[in-house]
Amino acid sequence: MAPAYLGEFEQLLLLAVLRLGSEAYALDIARELDVRAGRSVSRGALYTSLDRLEDKGLLRWKLTAGTPARNGLPRRLYTVTAAGLTALRASRSTLRRMWRGLEELLEEPTS
Amino acid sequence: MNRPDDTGDRWLPRLAIWFLGRVLPRGPRGDTVVGDLLEERQARGATTAATLRFWRQALSVAVRYRWRPEGVNEPAPAGVRSTRMSLDNLLQDVRYAVRSYAKAPSFALTILVTLALGIGASTAIFSMVNGILLRPLPLPDPDTLVYANEINTNRRGQAISVSWPNYLDWRARAQSFTALALTREEPMTLTGVDRPQRLRARRVTGNFFAVVGIPSAIGRTLGDEDDRPNAAPTAVVSAGFWQTHLGGDASALGRALTLDATAYTVVGVMPPDFEYLRPYDVFVSMGPISGTPNMVERGNHSGFSAVGRLKSGVALDTADSELKTIASSLEREYPGTNSAINVLTSRLADRLVDSIRLMLLALFGAVGLLLLIACVNVANLLIARGAGRQHELAVRAALGGGRGRLATQLLVESTLVSICGGTLGIGVAAGLVRMLVAMAPEGTPRLADVGIDGAALLFAFGAAAVCGIVFGALPAFQASAVGGQQALVRGRSSGASARTHRLRRGLMAVETALALILLTGAGLMMRTLQQLTHVDTGIRADHLLTAQFMLAGEEWTPARRRTFYDDLVGRVRALPGVGNVALAGALPIDGSNWNSIFIVGDQPVPERAKLPSAAFTPVSDGYFATMGMRLMSGRLFVATEKVDASYVVIVNETFARKLWPGQNAVGKRLKQGWPETPDHPTQPGAFFAPWREVVGVVSDVKFNGIANETPMQAYLPLTQIPQRSLSLVVRSATDPVTLASAVEGIVRDLDRNLPLFDVRTMEAMLSASMARERMSMLIFAVFAVVALTLASVGLYGVVAHGVTERTHEIGVRMALGAGAHHVLGLVVRQGLSMALIGTAIGVAGAVALSRWIEALLFGVSATDPATFAIVVGTLLAVAAIACYIPAWRATRVDPTTALRAE
Repeated sequence: MAPAYLGEFEQLLLLAVLRLGSEAYALDIARELDVRAGRSVSRGALYTSLDRLEDKGLLRWKLTAGTPARNGLPRRLYTVTAAGLTALRASRSTLRRMWRGLEELLEEPTS
Repeated sequence: MNRPDDTGDRWLPRLAIWFLGRVLPRGPRGDTVVGDLLEERQARGATTAATLRFWRQALSVAVRYRWRPEGVNEPAPAGVRSTRMSLDNLLQDVRYAVRSYAKAPSFALTILVTLALGIGASTAIFSMVNGILLRPLPLPDPDTLVYANEINTNRRGQAISVSWPNYLDWRARAQSFTALALTREEPMTLTGVDRPQRLRARRVTGNFFAVVGIPSAIGRTLGDEDDRPNAAPTAVVSAGFWQTHLGGDASALGRALTLDATAYTVVGVMPPDFEYLRPYDVFVSMGPISGTPNMVERGNHSGFSAVGRLKSGVALDTADSELKTIASSLEREYPGTNSAINVLTSRLADRLVDSIRLMLLALFGAVGLLLLIACVNVANLLIARGAGRQHELAVRAALGGGRGRLATQLLVESTLVSICGGTLGIGVAAGLVRMLVAMAPEGTPRLADVGIDGAALLFAFGAAAVCGIVFGALPAFQASAVGGQQALVRGRSSGASARTHRLRRGLMAVETALALILLTGAGLMMRTLQQLTHVDTGIRADHLLTAQFMLAGEEWTPARRRTFYDDLVGRVRALPGVGNVALAGALPIDGSNWNSIFIVGDQPVPERAKLPSAAFTPVSDGYFATMGMRLMSGRLFVATEKVDASYVVIVNETFARKLWPGQNAVGKRLKQGWPETPDHPTQPGAFFAPWREVVGVVSDVKFNGIANETPMQAYLPLTQIPQRSLSLVVRSATDPVTLASAVEGIVRDLDRNLPLFDVRTMEAMLSASMARERMSMLIFAVFAVVALTLASVGLYGVVAHGVTERTHEIGVRMALGAGAHHVLGLVVRQGLSMALIGTAIGVAGAVALSRWIEALLFGVSATDPATFAIVVGTLLAVAAIACYIPAWRATRVDPTTALRAE
């Protein structure tokens, strides 16, 4: 089966989860996106995108116990699945192929 | 979902949590999202900004979860249609509805206009009725406030005012009231100030304020001690008057106000929101008048009425029968003055609106009819639309649309249009209320209370919405009843079942009938106004200026008054452009309060209770010429009419005809008052009524409003009865309004303490007296036009739809050789048959309702055949046009196109 196609935001989400290791829950993911990618994302978009990645089998999650600050409500900790990693790799190689030969043209100005 | 709430969160986050619970998936999937949102808010310090952010995020989650493609996480089991009305479907339906309305803008527009007019007009009128009729008086516990006046049982229960001694006996004997007060409206002239002024004043007994239950804001109100004869005159002023005339200063207490030449000491100020029936400037005490011969005479009814506060638990009927019992015993105790005198009690609130109750109820009825028409129209339009969509619905059902889903969509469509129509209706209502308040007859009570009424709006909105929703969703159920397949197979042309068609035609007939009833009402009102404007008032009302003044106080001796009359009349007559000038104790139309009993010289004196009564008016010698009245026999008054001798009187035709039928009234004698009233002064200054000789008979004039029958009228020479309160009438060659300032200048010149008030033309007075009729006519006319429009739109819609449905049939007919006139006749006949049935029902309904409107009419019967004929003619003509347009279109059907369309 060919790896799932990933949208740009989906790539960012999966990368953020990978960067956060085993501690990836929604608020950390949002912060990571904000800090590293400069993307301020609405919670609605965040959760539905995470759900979509889960439906595609690229993410899975487990529950951990809640804290008083959350009214005792549980947390979902996300992990990227093997299929997720495959999809990321496929996306990266696609992008690399497309970038090849254009580096000079699109090179960032050196500071 | 169990979410312990031990963090003491305020209701705002809790509301959001509840809301999220409705949209998020159940179980940990939803819980974690809520948990994240809460944690984030906590982390940000639970400030207002954090809460705001929390809400924004919660909303974004809700929106995203609701509007994303369905069934991703929890796919519905195969074969089961999701009947849950999700927000997602709803939005889709709304979008679909907007698109489908945009495709048929004329349909949408018709239905919107119908709803806006129906909801707007009914809300506006209900707001008026509610503000004036139904809303309680702005006084504490208004239901226990009772109004009482005396009645003369011999004159068909004619209401008369309460005599002071009778009131004192009521008050002493009645047990039903915590307090019973006596009061009368008594406009007064304020002098001793820069500009003398007419004040809105009310004379009240001391316990009046206890009855109405409002204490003073500053100082005291009046008390029983203020009622005692010759008690120091006291006054309580309104907050408004205190501000404008007394500088809003508490030191104004103790100041004296010179009112009608009597100095009243201000003892109190009422709170700003106090109002008794209408705004007043000042309430004055009984003391200055309670000992006067006029008041202590039991047979004298001098304009007062009683107002009482019922004891708790006492019913109005109990109080009424108690007062009636007291009146009966007074009748036995004082047969000379109290025979045939009884009491009439009513709730104060009822009494207040008595005069306009009928009109408002008629308007209410008209509004009900209009709302009904609007609803029927909406129903008709929606059914027509539904019928036209049977095919579409059948296709959708065949493709898997559940009945519930289809009904939901139709519901959304009709709800959407109802809401839009209702919103427009609010605008219409606001405009109409403003217009009606502006047009309301002068003196309509509690006009200030009228505003758009929320309950009314809700009612009209609800009625229209229910109607729209019921009839809007009907096609969905019909679609499934007919059976999707059948509708599909039979195709477009037979989409509407015969049942729908019968329903629509029935509704159309009902609508026509309702419109006819409204049109009849409008027609009758118009005829009434027409009759009123053509009533012979007996005077020439054009080019007449009228004004009033009052010569109050001891210094205005009879001799000084006579001199003043001469000076005033002489100087006004000298103005350029002025013809005749005269003075009169009362003016036509406006009515006279001096109704007096009398006896006639050449006839036996009847028993006391059956003594005749007439309106006596003192007038100056130029009066009849100024008013344009005709002398029928005898002579008019002359300027040299003697003051103390050869007492004379002029009567009107009605008087002469009633008292001396077939005889010449000139030369007869009459005397005012009781048979025993002295006819010569028994001592200097004592009251007497001389025998008077009838010297002339003049034409009748309308006295107490245009619509009322002319009473017996008698005119006395002003020189012999030098009245204090008078009207000035000036006949001018030019526009009488231009004379007003010159006349005012002359009066100021003669006496700078004398204000001239109610300066207006006779025509303005006439027109004001017809204000009520004009207003009801106008409103009915507006209603009728709207109803006619709606009915013709409805008729047009039904016929046009019928033509569309029968395009195929018409095409076949024409292909087989039917001529245009044949097709035309076919369609018009069908349309008009509905209108005819409706007209018949409407005529029957209008006749049945006629007695309700009878009391509002003048000079025309409620079943006036001419009005009915015109109304029926108009309606049928409009109906014919409404049918003709689609019929004409039917003749343009191209047979080949019509047949190919199959």
